[in-house]
Amino acid sequence: MESISGEVGRFQVTVKKEPRYIDLQRCTGCGDCAEVCPVSVPSEFDLSLSDRKATYKPYAQAIPGGYAIQKLDRSPCTYTCPNQVNAHGYVALVHQGRYREAMELIMDTLPLPGVLGRICPHPCESACRRGKVDAPVSICALKRFVADQVDVEDLPPPVIAPRQEKVAVIGSGPAGLTAAYFLAKEGYQVTIFEALPVAGGMLRVGIPDYRLPPKVLEKEIRAITRLGVEIRLNKTLGQNITIDGLSSQDYKAIYLSIGAHNSLKLGISGEEANGVIPGVDFLRRVNLGELTQLEGRVVIVGGGDVAIDAARSALRLGAEKVAILYRRTRAEMPAREEEVEDALEEGIEIQFLIAPTQILTDQDELSGIQCLRMELGEPDASGRRRPVPVHGSDFIIKADMVIPAIGQQPDGSTLAEIAGVELTRRNTIRVDSVTYETSKAGVFAGGDAVSGPWIAIEAVAAGKEAAVSISRYLEGKDLHLNRERDGITQEHFSPIPEKVQPTARATMPRLAVDHRLRSFAEVDLGFTEEQVRAEAEKCLNCMVCSECMQCVKACKAEAVNHDLLAGTFSLEVGSVILAPGFENFDPAQYDTYAYSELENVVTSLEFERMFSASGPFRGHLVRPSDHEEPKRIAWLQCVGSRDINHCDNSYCSGVCCMHAIKQAVIAKEHAKDRLDTAIFFMDMRTHGKDFERYYERAREEYSVRFIRSRVHTVYPERETGDLILAYVDEAGENREETFDLVVLSVGMQTPRSVLDLAQRLGVDVDADSFCATNSFQPVATSKAGIYVCGVFQSPKDIPQSVVEAGAAAAAAGDILAPARNTLTITQELPQEINVRGEVVRIGVFVCHCGINIAGVVDVEAVRDYAGTLPYVVHVEDSLYTCSQDAQERMLRVIREQNVNRVVVAACSPRTHEPLFQDTLVSSGLNKYLFEMANIRNHDSWVHSGTPPAATEKAKDLLRIAVTKVALLEPLQETTVEIRQSALVVGGGVAGMVAALQLAGQGYPVTLVEATAQLGGHARSIRTTWLGENVGEYLSDLVARVRNHSAIKVRLNSHLEEVKGFVGNFQSKVRMSGENGTTYSTVNHGVAVVATGGQPAIPEEYLYGLHPRIFLWHELDDAVEAGKLECTNSAVFIQCVGSREPQRPYCSKICCTFSLQRAIDLKETNPEMDVYILYRDVRTYGQREELYRRARAAGVIFIRYSLTDKPVIHTSDQGQLQVHVKDHILQRPLLLTPEFIVLASAIETRGAEVLAQLFKVSLSEDGFFAEAHAKLRPVEFATDGVFLCGLAHYPKPLEECIAQAQAAASRAISLLAQETLQVSGQVAEISSMKCSACGVCVTVCPFGAPSFNERGLSEINRALCKGCGICAASCRSGAIDLKGFEDKQIFAMIEEI
Amino acid sequence: MTENEKHNWKPKIVAFLCNWCSYGAADLAGVSRLQYPPYIRPIRVPCTGRMDPKFILAAFRQGADGIWVSG
Repeated sequence: MESISGEVGRFQVTVKKEPRYIDLQRCTGCGDCAEVCPVSVPSEFDLSLSDRKATYKPYAQAIPGGYAIQKLDRSPCTYTCPNQVNAHGYVALVHQGRYREAMELIMDTLPLPGVLGRICPHPCESACRRGKVDAPVSICALKRFVADQVDVEDLPPPVIAPRQEKVAVIGSGPAGLTAAYFLAKEGYQVTIFEALPVAGGMLRVGIPDYRLPPKVLEKEIRAITRLGVEIRLNKTLGQNITIDGLSSQDYKAIYLSIGAHNSLKLGISGEEANGVIPGVDFLRRVNLGELTQLEGRVVIVGGGDVAIDAARSALRLGAEKVAILYRRTRAEMPAREEEVEDALEEGIEIQFLIAPTQILTDQDELSGIQCLRMELGEPDASGRRRPVPVHGSDFIIKADMVIPAIGQQPDGSTLAEIAGVELTRRNTIRVDSVTYETSKAGVFAGGDAVSGPWIAIEAVAAGKEAAVSISRYLEGKDLHLNRERDGITQEHFSPIPEKVQPTARATMPRLAVDHRLRSFAEVDLGFTEEQVRAEAEKCLNCMVCSECMQCVKACKAEAVNHDLLAGTFSLEVGSVILAPGFENFDPAQYDTYAYSELENVVTSLEFERMFSASGPFRGHLVRPSDHEEPKRIAWLQCVGSRDINHCDNSYCSGVCCMHAIKQAVIAKEHAKDRLDTAIFFMDMRTHGKDFERYYERAREEYSVRFIRSRVHTVYPERETGDLILAYVDEAGENREETFDLVVLSVGMQTPRSVLDLAQRLGVDVDADSFCATNSFQPVATSKAGIYVCGVFQSPKDIPQSVVEAGAAAAAAGDILAPARNTLTITQELPQEINVRGEVVRIGVFVCHCGINIAGVVDVEAVRDYAGTLPYVVHVEDSLYTCSQDAQERMLRVIREQNVNRVVVAACSPRTHEPLFQDTLVSSGLNKYLFEMANIRNHDSWVHSGTPPAATEKAKDLLRIAVTKVALLEPLQETTVEIRQSALVVGGGVAGMVAALQLAGQGYPVTLVEATAQLGGHARSIRTTWLGENVGEYLSDLVARVRNHSAIKVRLNSHLEEVKGFVGNFQSKVRMSGENGTTYSTVNHGVAVVATGGQPAIPEEYLYGLHPRIFLWHELDDAVEAGKLECTNSAVFIQCVGSREPQRPYCSKICCTFSLQRAIDLKETNPEMDVYILYRDVRTYGQREELYRRARAAGVIFIRYSLTDKPVIHTSDQGQLQVHVKDHILQRPLLLTPEFIVLASAIETRGAEVLAQLFKVSLSEDGFFAEAHAKLRPVEFATDGVFLCGLAHYPKPLEECIAQAQAAASRAISLLAQETLQVSGQVAEISSMKCSACGVCVTVCPFGAPSFNERGLSEINRALCKGCGICAASCRSGAIDLKGFEDKQIFAMIEEI
Repeated sequence: MTENEKHNWKPKIVAFLCNWCSYGAADLAGVSRLQYPPYIRPIRVPCTGRMDPKFILAAFRQGADGIWVSG
């Protein structure tokens, strides 16, 4: 989300979308692309514990289920190459030993891989990011290896569509050859005219054979001529051919690539003497075999590659001594470093800071060279320091041959004769920098003739680009369109892994020096296979995807498209919900836990992946270092939470305690008795619903050890990889314990990117970097119309996140309600064909799923087998049965062949049944006349090693499906009208918020409250924990409820009876008033239960027996009444009646309450002694701030245990006495407070009655039981009934409000449908057979069966979920489940 | 049963799989390419609550060597 403008109800949001490179409409999720992808990078999902491919699905169950390709900025190697040769791609393929694919990939951009693999100065390697670790990958040598391995003439020739147009290429150097290659691939008729008697230009006559053996070049030239390119030798421009002449011979375009073969002159006297041969002339004569022997002393002038090549060639021809004179120093030498090294190694002398001034002759014969010594002065235009002569430093060097090698230029005399082709001042051809067009129409130019002498790969690039231009020119297209390389960033690359081992760059084997000098044999011998694989493995995969295009070839569905671009689009929305989540704290910052150094110290999230069935170890619990099963695991809590020493996260993350307990329990279950688990913690915070029970079970049943302590150091035991934890126990003793594996329970924090997003949207964050909200509007951000849910709102667990998501949806929906259903489209469907009584005609469609099924199962055999089965009238197989065209075919087959039952043998009905059923409906068939045989997920994918057995299984699965489908009958779906109104039970904050939410979106509400006034317990609350005024909020809330025209409030009322079911409830309300008891009936579509909870009345701690022992808000009342003025000591006792055997749950809100009151007392009177007697301080989430403040204010915390509870006495004078054991000193203490506050448990009363009325269930602790703790936290298993507030579980005000909004949201999404479509696969009771035993009524979890007026059981289709438990339980055999009838299942069993 | 017979034994195992959990898990085993012997013949049921003891007897009568009810 890039930006937002506008206002509530009318926002314009700009969203940037990264391309996926895979078309989800076509992708079948088969994974063939990932199979062939050569790039592996660490898997984010497995937290780098395993690898994934560059084309990937984040995890097996990901939605959408298709693949995606990850691309960052173009890899620097590829980006830097002048010709954009895909270096990353071929390195990746080489790593896998796929040399042929690598060669094909190189040939896409470069027709001379063996040549460039030897002579390229490889700019790619200078850019390689591996250089930051150790040394760049030897990219160029890998290319050479590939070219040496794969015979270019062996590759299949490309398919070419021939064209008539003729193109002339003048010059057969790298530019000319490349242009010819690409033009020939386009189908043009290309002729190359070459002045020399050999082809190859400078590659052939400018580079000595010991660097580039001629056979390598010749082979690659042959491969080019194979495409139809003709090379005519000894044809010189200006002599045998002319531009105009070629044009008149019907050459439609001409490419000038004549190179730069003329040496520059030294410009000193004596240069014309015998024995002076310019460098390129010398090399040409050597390469053409005209010069085969030398004698005497040879002096070369110059410092470039030509100078070095000439020197080394001279040595090989027999020169006694070879010296190079260069006028600057080695640092300025333009020759390649390795070439200079080679020359020195071979015995060539290089003299620096020397410039020739005169060639000395003796009767026209060369005798020597006079020189001057130089020194370096100021930098010149090239940035190199200018050599300045040293006066009087003249000296003479004797020489038998002098080779000036100071540069070349194109043959100006030839070029000057071409009319209409403009030249530059440097005598090179002037061209357009992008299109390589000359000033003469139809004439293009490139290579050294344009650039001056330069590297071969640049000439190749020029040739390739010219081919594009010429092709466009001949087709009359725009030459410039989309050819600029701008806007490509080089910033975002895959990170360099921290644990990467520096490895030395491989050294290429080379010919020994004494062998070299005897011949022109190649010096560099090439890498071994072992070396290339090791080098390729070093690649860091900078771009992630290497664009090797293997996925394109592998994807049978043609879903891959590498040309997609990122795009931005804008959305018009009324409101926005932020759910950006969190990141885990990075424990690398804690050096005490040595997370970075020790492999067996892992984070809790890593541990989660480690034992996951789909994780890196396939659910086998092993530790990373040696893959051994751990015997002792420790969890360290509060890493990156409740900590301002190592990070700024002072808050409690709220979820880690449960997380650790769950992990310990599951680890125990994995390992049975062989595992010891210990959790090191400060306070155990199991404050959620049913969490305390889980904690108890972990301790009692699973023997998880809980050690109250903060570990100060983790250090390794040297040899074993085990870990020693040093800590101080509760008694203050230093202890050490050894573990195999240590799990750091890392906290949650807001990522930087989310803070940036918040800033872009103008949404405020709080001091802890969570979204700023207030208790009364828990999901509203500081900006109107933008809502928040999940951990960005504040740290929380999944149930609370799901609740908040509902609340945010409700809040966002308030704004959108008027627009509901304004953008919906209704689908037109054909009339359903009546197939009852017709002969069964089955159509069977067998899917190949590309090669996913067909690669293992013999699909044709399965198809033919289907044809032999009874009632089958049509069989066919297709590549992808789910594809659009296959669906259209299926529709035609159904209509034309009168097929009335369909079987698809393909993948899973769980993912694809709805798609095929839609096709059935479109063809007029009832959608239940369909069955699938899962021959992919349950067959080909899991039996890939045994194809014959897999084929047999596929036939069996298909036969079973055909048998069932023949017995299927059309089923009717029932439509239930939903009455557009709601009943809310309970007039506290939760009930009122739910009522207002429903009414606000247009649904009339009846609000039933048992007492005489609205407000519930909130009436006795003064402030929230953040200090917000509850009284003001409440009076406003009550007024809004009272004044809302769509809310009817019924005070002093109780529900007496509830009849009906989702969409159609009739409830009887009993109201007691001044005029006696009256009854009324409310018809409603949905109901919300918000009946609240109460504080339990303690039967201990002398409650009720002493006037200064208070419960909860009795304290506030006493303070307000001034009863506690001038008091100097107070004791709060926590967990009164909670976390005890009779109420084994945490009441969640008591710690916050007591701490808040303790702080108030301390602030009023700092001298006061305030004690809190607690078991664990559970100030979860951002409430941790209260704990910090209480301690800072001097509140004294004394921990007690359940076995050693405080005891209260009163002295004879009526003085309160509290006996408690100090947990640190382990000694009894006597406190004499002036008053005591008991934080008693929260419980429900009378919930059973309502539970029976709505047929919903209660938890063991007497709270209402939601349908699913995480996934459906505000819904009951009974449809149409919702839940919120304390009736669900004790919770603070802001959580009640969010839950009420969520309950209303779920209710509204049901109401908004207006009708309910009930599946046809429901139970049906034969009244003839029903014996009215009532078993079905008892066993159904959804209340679907009930007795009718005849006393027989009847199913309410609207409530039936189609589970079939009633059918299986019916003693009379009266019940059957449509779609899974007894006869159908028996028939399937018969076919096994 | 001789060693050889044991080695070549191809049991017939019928699996009654709950549509919502075990059938989905079997799908996921496929997605993860987990390999298991090809002798299982799954029958999808809407819920293991649908399981009637008669189905198990019927499967044994059909020669099943093992029956797996999972949900």
